[in-house]
Amino acid sequence: MMSFLGVAVEVVLVVGALAVLTADLIWEPPRRVLGVLTGATLAVAAGFGWLQWDQTVRDGNASLQYSDMIALDGYGALAGLVAIVVAAAAIAAAWSLIVEMEGRSAELIVLMLLATSGVHLMAASANFMVLFLGLEILSISLYVMAGYTRNRAGADEAALKYFLLGAFASAVFLYGVALVFAGTGSLSVYGIAQFFVRSLVLQPAVLVAGLGLMIVGLAFKVSAVPFHMWAPDVYQGAPGGLVGFMAAMAKLGGFAALGRVLVVAFESRIDDWGPVIAVVAVASVVIGTALAIAQTDVKRMLAYSSVAHAGFILTGLLGADLGSMWFYLATYVFQVLGAFIVVSIISGPGSGPTPLTSLAGLGKSSPRLAALMALFMLAMGGIPLTAGFVGKAAVFQAAIDGGYLWVVIVSLIATTAGLFFYLRVTVLMYMQDELTASTARSDGPQRWSLAWCSGVTVVFGIVPWPLLNIVREALPL
Amino acid sequence: MSDFPTLTLLILLPLAGAAAVAVIPRRRSELVFPTAVATSMLPLAVAGYVVWEFATGEAGFQFTEKVLWFEPWGVSYFVGVDGISLLLVALTAFLVPISLLASASISDRRKEYFVAMLVLETGLLGTFLALDLLLFFVFFEVALVPMYLIIGLWGGEHRVYAAVKFFLYTALGSGLMLAGILSLGLIAGEQTGSATFDYTALLALDLPYGTQVWLFLAFGAAFAIKVPLFPFHTWLPDAHVEAPTAGSIILAGVLLKLGTYGFIRFNLALFPDATVDMVPVMVVLAVIGIIYGAVVAIVQPDLKRLVAYSSVSHLGFVVLGIFALTRSGLQGGVIQMVNHGLTTGALFLLVGMIYERRHTRLIADYGGIAAVMPWFAGAFLFVAFASIGLPGLNGFVGEFLVLTGSYLSVPAGAIVAAFGVVLAAIYLLWAYERVFTGPITHEENKLLADLAPREWAALLPMVALIIYLGVYPKPALDRIEPSVDALLERIEQTTDYVVPEFGSSQSGGEG
Repeated sequence: MMSFLGVAVEVVLVVGALAVLTADLIWEPPRRVLGVLTGATLAVAAGFGWLQWDQTVRDGNASLQYSDMIALDGYGALAGLVAIVVAAAAIAAAWSLIVEMEGRSAELIVLMLLATSGVHLMAASANFMVLFLGLEILSISLYVMAGYTRNRAGADEAALKYFLLGAFASAVFLYGVALVFAGTGSLSVYGIAQFFVRSLVLQPAVLVAGLGLMIVGLAFKVSAVPFHMWAPDVYQGAPGGLVGFMAAMAKLGGFAALGRVLVVAFESRIDDWGPVIAVVAVASVVIGTALAIAQTDVKRMLAYSSVAHAGFILTGLLGADLGSMWFYLATYVFQVLGAFIVVSIISGPGSGPTPLTSLAGLGKSSPRLAALMALFMLAMGGIPLTAGFVGKAAVFQAAIDGGYLWVVIVSLIATTAGLFFYLRVTVLMYMQDELTASTARSDGPQRWSLAWCSGVTVVFGIVPWPLLNIVREALPL
Repeated sequence: MSDFPTLTLLILLPLAGAAAVAVIPRRRSELVFPTAVATSMLPLAVAGYVVWEFATGEAGFQFTEKVLWFEPWGVSYFVGVDGISLLLVALTAFLVPISLLASASISDRRKEYFVAMLVLETGLLGTFLALDLLLFFVFFEVALVPMYLIIGLWGGEHRVYAAVKFFLYTALGSGLMLAGILSLGLIAGEQTGSATFDYTALLALDLPYGTQVWLFLAFGAAFAIKVPLFPFHTWLPDAHVEAPTAGSIILAGVLLKLGTYGFIRFNLALFPDATVDMVPVMVVLAVIGIIYGAVVAIVQPDLKRLVAYSSVSHLGFVVLGIFALTRSGLQGGVIQMVNHGLTTGALFLLVGMIYERRHTRLIADYGGIAAVMPWFAGAFLFVAFASIGLPGLNGFVGEFLVLTGSYLSVPAGAIVAAFGVVLAAIYLLWAYERVFTGPITHEENKLLADLAPREWAALLPMVALIIYLGVYPKPALDRIEPSVDALLERIEQTTDYVVPEFGSSQSGGEG
């Protein structure tokens, strides 16, 4: 039983996905049945995630499973739980789009469930091959989702761009894994950590090159500078109802893997990767912020803002503090998801470009949507009493602790500059008159998702301590 | 002291008021204004109780409450009041009802406006009362958002530009301060074994000189922008001109004091070595601000802009008094914060009243209106005199203490600053002359109505306090003095600095 628990989340998600697919093929049930099936799958997966948490963190019984392929620990359990909650909220919010897809709606659910399982596999992997498998499961699902509304040329373009660049990044990552294997003779996360304890590396060139390539591959997934080029085009072109999910999942999986690789496997080489991550983080924050200011499309702006956020999260890694990274990540994914849900309600779930001006006057026409959007913007800007502030304080503290004060100062200045474009959204919504009469109306599931996203943002902004305690316990083995 | 959480009550009451206003249904919108004004009286009552119960002669924090919030970070909910913050808390609780009274004409999104004002009050009170640095930062930022909305939503023609400029300037400063706060907490962690943001615990740290200097700069950047100290002042005239009357009253009356208060509370107390060495820089900036603000005020065609620039000048006096690092200078700085809040608040109130009648603030559009509005003219002249520093009114007490105090340590600065008083007389009295005296130059001004009862209700308490603090400032100074003395003693103990004394003269406020 115990060994099954290590892969239970993946198994449940994949079985659930197959069940949805099969049911749709042979029986074509009403969409509601598919919804119930999906909900049940996620609930059972979450239950196993909770069991993992219970066994590893509460009973202190973390272990390696399946010939050291899978780590059953709090780190993976937390990643799974967050990913499942994100998936539930995102599927609910995208439900109208799923129904709209008619014959292809089941496949969309399947892709979302598979992506979720990929995220958990990446977080729980104890071997680079398993990590790569998780990465590909996640990535390929996301490529398909980017082009799901295939009758729109923009979506095709987004999917193709994402696929080509993403496949390239995966290859680079794999090459990095090969070089690391050449340098250490191991593919196991813990084997490599052990290797550094046992051996003295005299000529680390191959090893460092391998590590560098792995960082490149993962930096692409989380859209950190200079591997961020795809993000704006993909975010803008992909269906509005799915972008939030794609953004959140890519970040979750990518950072979970980065944490596992850098802080667990290569912890003793922190002097090698620390400066690299610092430079990537600062570049992401500065360039993401600067380019976000120049955008005229909400989705592109959010894409560049997510580049900046990737930089902030990387800052947390500088102190080798996975807790602060997790706090930021677990709250940010709900901010970005919530923001994209609002955007998709305004522009329609299947559509692509959403000019900033379409938000004008939203404060008058849909006061609740506008208030939520303003909340997510303030949270991303890092205003206190939102989770965004606590997250920033946490990663900055970790970075100062790690001796990277200059990174923090540059990031703080960029944060201020970033407030400009977050504020511009509120200015547009509240202080300008609408250009076209808005017909934006949210449906029931979207309201639930938004309530959840905003709840996380506010509650963990005011009383962050429970979550801070949880993420401090969610340590890798 | 009883265990009753008086200060928490004080912080939460405006929030409760905001909630009460928020639940008023749309169709009963006539209830919004009375509810808001009535609920804003409650914090005033509590603040009055705190001032009354405050033990004079004690330097430490009183009414303290402390609840450990998150142990690993050493964050606690820690509030308390001492002589330096006491009067500012009272000033906040006093000015909010007045500014709400001045907001009766707000018609667009009335409910949201009063909610924002009351939330703002919570933020401001919390900032003055917080004794945990992270808590302080949270309140400091929380006060920013409603003010941004008040300027941006209910402001004048260029409100969006002014609001964004205000927000970005302030946020840049507070970002640097956050870096300082986090570093301070980590240094505390290294020195004492557990991270803490507790103000009283941080006082015990032994900070190396280099660290002190850059922490001084990080905190100082936030406060210098907030004050605003020359050359960080450019957001202020824009924000004031565009803000609605009540926004201007709170902005000038309270929000700017967050900067000067922060200098005293954090820079002077936590980084004494750096402070002593920074005195020349700060004094020069303060004196430039005094003269520059006054000179620019003289030539303003817009009454509100004139008052805004006069704030730059007056706040320069406060900073000069603080960084004179003498007893009377520091006392003068603290009392001058309150005085400026009252007089400038009253000036903005008056400008707002006349703007509501004529929808112009240009001096050139008026002339001779004392003939139709004698009471209004009288009130304006009275407040102008208080602002100039006429003996017997409150402005005199503060400026006198600041000038004597700074003469002891930085005589050149005091001498130049004294010209600021003369310039203040020029810009205010010249403006008075052009607006009120002579024959009426514009037809439409002939029908202007004099003060209405509601306007009297807003003005009279301010007038009373202006006279009271001018004639008998001793109760106020008695409460300030022990905390100021303790602060200077601390600077003397931790550095080589010796506080210059003026024979035996001290607290000669009645002078």
